[in-house]
Amino acid sequence: MFEFLFKYRPVLFESGDFTFRTPWPVGLVVIAAVIFVGVAVLTYRGTGRKATPADRGILSALRIAALAVLLFSLLQPTLVLESVVEQRNFVGVLLDNSRSMTLPQEGGGTRADFIRETFGAEGSEVVDALNERFSVRYFHFGNETGRVESADALRFDGTRTDLASALVRAQETLSSVPLSGLVVVSDGASNAGPALAEALVPLQAASLPVYSVGLGPERLDPDIQVDRVELPRSVLRGSDIVVDVPVTQRGFARRSATLVVEDGARRLTEVPLDFGEDGEAVLARARFTLDEAGPRALRFRVPVQEGEEVARNNARDLLIDVREDREKILYFEGEPRYEVKFLRRAIWRDENIQVVVLQRTADGKYLRLDVDDGDELVTGFPRSREELFQYRAIILGSVEASLFTADQLEMLADFVSVRGGGLLLLGGRSALAEGGFAGTALEEVSPVLLEEPAADPRSAYTQVRVRPTPAGRAHPVSNIGEAILPEAAEVAEGVDLDDPWATLPPLSTMNRVVRTRPGASTLLLGTTPGGEDRVVLASQRYGRGTSIAFPVQDSWIWQMDATVGVEDQRHERFWQQLLRWLVEDVARPVSVTPEREQVESDESVPLTAEVLDSAYLAVNAAAVVASVTAPGGTVVETPLRWTIEEDGIYRGSVTLTEPGVHTIEVVATRDGETLGSSSSFVQVGPSDEEYFDAARRTASLRRLAEVTGGRFYTPSTIHDLPEDLRFTGAGVTRVDERDLWDMPILLLLLLGLIGAEWGYRRFKGLV
Amino acid sequence: MRLIELIAVTGAIGVVVGVVAGADPHPPAPPVESTTFTSVHLPDRGADALVTPRARAQQAVDPSHDFYFTRVAYSGRRNPWGWGGGRGGGWRTDFPEAEFYFTQLLGRLIEIDVYTDHGGVNVLTLDDPALRRFPFVYIVEPGRMSLSEAEIRGLRLYLEAGGFLMMDDFWGVRETSIVEEQLAQVLPGRPIVEIPLDHPIFRSVYEIEEIRQVPNIRNGRNVGAGYVGARTDEGDHSEIPSVRGIMDDDGRLMVIINQNTDLGDAWEWAEDPWYPLDFSTYATQVGINTVVYAMSH
Repeated sequence: MFEFLFKYRPVLFESGDFTFRTPWPVGLVVIAAVIFVGVAVLTYRGTGRKATPADRGILSALRIAALAVLLFSLLQPTLVLESVVEQRNFVGVLLDNSRSMTLPQEGGGTRADFIRETFGAEGSEVVDALNERFSVRYFHFGNETGRVESADALRFDGTRTDLASALVRAQETLSSVPLSGLVVVSDGASNAGPALAEALVPLQAASLPVYSVGLGPERLDPDIQVDRVELPRSVLRGSDIVVDVPVTQRGFARRSATLVVEDGARRLTEVPLDFGEDGEAVLARARFTLDEAGPRALRFRVPVQEGEEVARNNARDLLIDVREDREKILYFEGEPRYEVKFLRRAIWRDENIQVVVLQRTADGKYLRLDVDDGDELVTGFPRSREELFQYRAIILGSVEASLFTADQLEMLADFVSVRGGGLLLLGGRSALAEGGFAGTALEEVSPVLLEEPAADPRSAYTQVRVRPTPAGRAHPVSNIGEAILPEAAEVAEGVDLDDPWATLPPLSTMNRVVRTRPGASTLLLGTTPGGEDRVVLASQRYGRGTSIAFPVQDSWIWQMDATVGVEDQRHERFWQQLLRWLVEDVARPVSVTPEREQVESDESVPLTAEVLDSAYLAVNAAAVVASVTAPGGTVVETPLRWTIEEDGIYRGSVTLTEPGVHTIEVVATRDGETLGSSSSFVQVGPSDEEYFDAARRTASLRRLAEVTGGRFYTPSTIHDLPEDLRFTGAGVTRVDERDLWDMPILLLLLLGLIGAEWGYRRFKGLV
Repeated sequence: MRLIELIAVTGAIGVVVGVVAGADPHPPAPPVESTTFTSVHLPDRGADALVTPRARAQQAVDPSHDFYFTRVAYSGRRNPWGWGGGRGGGWRTDFPEAEFYFTQLLGRLIEIDVYTDHGGVNVLTLDDPALRRFPFVYIVEPGRMSLSEAEIRGLRLYLEAGGFLMMDDFWGVRETSIVEEQLAQVLPGRPIVEIPLDHPIFRSVYEIEEIRQVPNIRNGRNVGAGYVGARTDEGDHSEIPSVRGIMDDDGRLMVIINQNTDLGDAWEWAEDPWYPLDFSTYATQVGINTVVYAMSH
C-alpha cells in the first residue's frame, strides 16, 4: 500500500534525502504562495449572506490546502538517493553453519533447508537479484568463520555460534574491495566468542550496514528447556552440592515433570517440577553428594515430553572435578574451648579434611593436634608467608589481636587476598571486635562490620536461634540433613519438623554482629530472645580468597544438647560443608585452566597456567609442561610459554581427538626444583549447546541491523533485500534522483480536498 | 523423726550457716539475658537436702563460660542418694572445696574461661537434661555407686553424644568391681583399658611421666609428717594406682578412671600445709591435662 501511494518503498525514503528541484527563486515561490492564499480568501468573501464566518474559514482552509498540494507538486519534489553502481560492489553473505540450523523453520522444513534453497548454487530469486547488482561473497560461521562458494557446501554441524568473530572476519576479508554491506542469515544465537557489541564498533566506524535475516520461530512451543546450570569447577570428595536449575517451558502449563541428576549411569537425585503458567520458569533445587573421586560428567535432565519441538535442550552436561585431596586447615584457638573438640569430632572420619589445631593452653604454651611432624607449628603461629601459605584455610577462634605481630596480621590478610585462601572467623570473648581486631589488617578482611565492643564481653552474651536466609537455603552449608530427635522430644507447637534448622537448639554469642560489609552475603541469621537479628554466618570475596564469619561460640550445642538425638548428624554435616566451602576454589601455586571444558573432536583447547612460588609470588622463568592423558591412556606433552604481558601466566594449546575425558596435568619447575603441579579436565564429545535457546532472537538481530544502518528481514520479507541493498550508501555509489511530484498520494490528496470543499458547499447550500 | 526428715533439717541448717559465713570470694555473676541452667537439680527424692550451703545458695549458673567443673550427684549403693557408705560421702566427697580450689587453679595456670562464681559449684544428676550442656563431668567415690535405670540411660546418652566422664577416688578390689559393673551397664560391650603413659592425655598440657598414688588427706598428712609406716593406699589390694579408660569407636577417651588414687582430696587440701605439695601438684596437673584433653578430643 505504501509503495502504491508513495511510488517507492519506505527504505528509499529512509535512505535518501528530500529536495525540490524547481528552478524558481525562493522569493518568487513565497509571492506565489501569498497570492494563492489571498485568492482563496478573497474568493469566499463574496459568497453571500448565507455563509457564516465559520463556513468561510473552513472553505478557505480547504482551498488553501488544495492550492498548497498543487504548489508542492509544481516545486518538483525529488528524492536524492545514493544507489550502488551495479556490479561494482561486493556484498558478504554470512550463513549460519551451526547445528541449530537443523531445527524446524516456520512454515515447515528446517532452517538449513531455507538456507540451501535461498543461497544454494542453483540460485533463487534473491540470489539472482543479488548477483545482478553485486559480487556476492559467501561465508559460513559457527565454531569458526570461512569462505564458501554457496550454501551447498554447508554441513550445519557447528557446535557453537560465534557471530561477533564472523562479522569481524568478513569485514576484514572484504576490506580491500568496495563493500555495500553484510548479510547475516541466522537464528541470532551467539554462544561463543566475544560479545556481539564488540563487533559492532568497527562496523559502525566503517559505516558498513548489516542486513540480518532471522530464521526459526520466535518461540518453541511446546518445549521444555533446562537452562544454564552452574557448578563449581572442583569440589572435595564427599561434598554436598546444591544447584538451582532453572527450567523453562511452553505448552506445559500447570503440568508436572521431574528433573533428574545423573552421574553416568548412577542417579544422584530427582526433583519434582510443577510448572506454572505458560512460559513461566521454575527453579528446581537439586541437592546431592559427590562421593566418587575423579572427573564426573553430571547430567541434569528433564525426560522428553511428548510433542516437544526440541528434545536435545532437555539435558545439560557438566564436568566437575571431585578431588581426593586432603585439604589442610589450620585452626588457631586462643584457649581450650569445646568448639575444638566438637569441630574435630565432626570431621574426624572425613578423609579429605585435615584440621591442624594450634591451641594456646597457657601464655606461650600451645597444644598442637594433628600436625604432620614434630616441627610443624613448634614455635607457635606461623611467622613466615611460606609457613602460613602451606595451609589452604585458617580458622581463627577466640584469640585476641594482640597475640599476633603486625606482620602476622598482614600475612593473614595476604593469606586471603594474595594467596587466595579461606579464612573463617569464629566468635568468642576474644574474637572479632572484642578481640581488638578493629583497626588491624584483618578488619577489612572480615565480612562483618566490627561494632564497638562492650567493656565486658560477658555482658553482651546472648542466645540466638539460628535460621538460614534465602541465600543460605540455596547454599550447601545449609544442607545439614534431617533432624533426629530424642524419643521423648517435646517440640513446640508450630515448629516445622521437616525443617532441620527449626529444631536446632539456640547457640550463644558474645560478639554483637549485626551488619555485614557491602558485597558480603549473609547465609545464617540468629534471633535473640529480645527479637534482634544477629549475623551468624556471612561471607565475602576478598581479593583472591574468601572470608567467612561465624560469630557464635558454641556450635557444639547442636551436637550435645538433650533436644538433639545422639544419632543426629546435623552438627557434623554443618561443619563438613562449612570447611569444604572454606577450601573450595582455594588457589594452588600452580594452576591450569582450559578455555573450554567441553570440546568437539580435533578441536584446539587454549590452556592458561599460573605459576607462583611458595610465597605466592609470580614466577616468570619456570619450565611449564602440560601432559595430556587421553581416555585410552596416550600421553602427549605440550610446553606452555610465559606471556610477557602478565607475570606468572603461561599459555599454550592442545588439540584433543579421542572422545571422553582428557586429563591435563601441568607441572612447573625452576632450576630443577618442582614448584608445583595442577590438573584439569576436558571432555571431548558432541555438544548440545546449539539446541538451547534455539528460537529466533529477533531483538538481537534487529538491533544488529539498526545500529549499523541495515534492516531486519524474515524469510517472508527477504525478497526486498536485494533492492534495499542498492541504497546502503556504502561502496561505489552514484547519485540517483527520483521524482516525487507524481506520487499518487498527491493526486488523491488534491482531489480529496477539492471534493471536500465542493461537498461542504453543497451541504451548507452555498452552491 | 524419720531419717529423711532429719537429713532435710540438717541441710536447711547448713544453708543458713553457709550464707552467714559468706564464703563466696567472687563477685556475683552479671545478669544474663536468656537461658540459664539451673544447677543442683537433684532427683525428687529429698536428696537436694544433702547439698552444701554454698551450692544451695546458688540458683542459676551463668552460662557464658567455656568450662564448668560439673560434679555428678549419683545414687549410691547404701541408699538412694549415694551417701553414708561408711567412708566419705559418695558423690559429695570433697564438695565443694575440691571444685573451689581446682577451678581457681585452672583459671590461674592455663588460659581458660572457667566458671568460678559461687565457688565453681555446678552439680547435676545424670538424668537431668541440663547435663548435656556440660561436656565434662566428674564422679568421685564411685565405689558405692548404684545408678538407677534413668541415670544409666542419661550417662550413656551423655557419653555417646560426646560428653567426657572423669572418675576418681575409689580403692581396692571390691570398689573396682562395683565401678566396672556400673560402667558395663552404662556402656555395654566397651572394655575398660589401661591408658599408657604415651597417651595424649598425659601430654595435653603437662608431661606426666609416671602414675602416682595420691593419698587421701589423712594418709597424705601422715606421709607429709614423715611418720614411719605411713601409707598412701587404702587397703583391699589398692597399693598400685592406675589410670584406665573407655574409648569410643574412634579411639578417643570417653571415660577416664583414676583408680586407687584420690585426686579430689589433693585439690581440696592443696593449701593444707601438712598435705605434701607434690601430691597436690601432681593431682592438679593430671586434672588440667584431663580437662584440656576433654575439651579438645
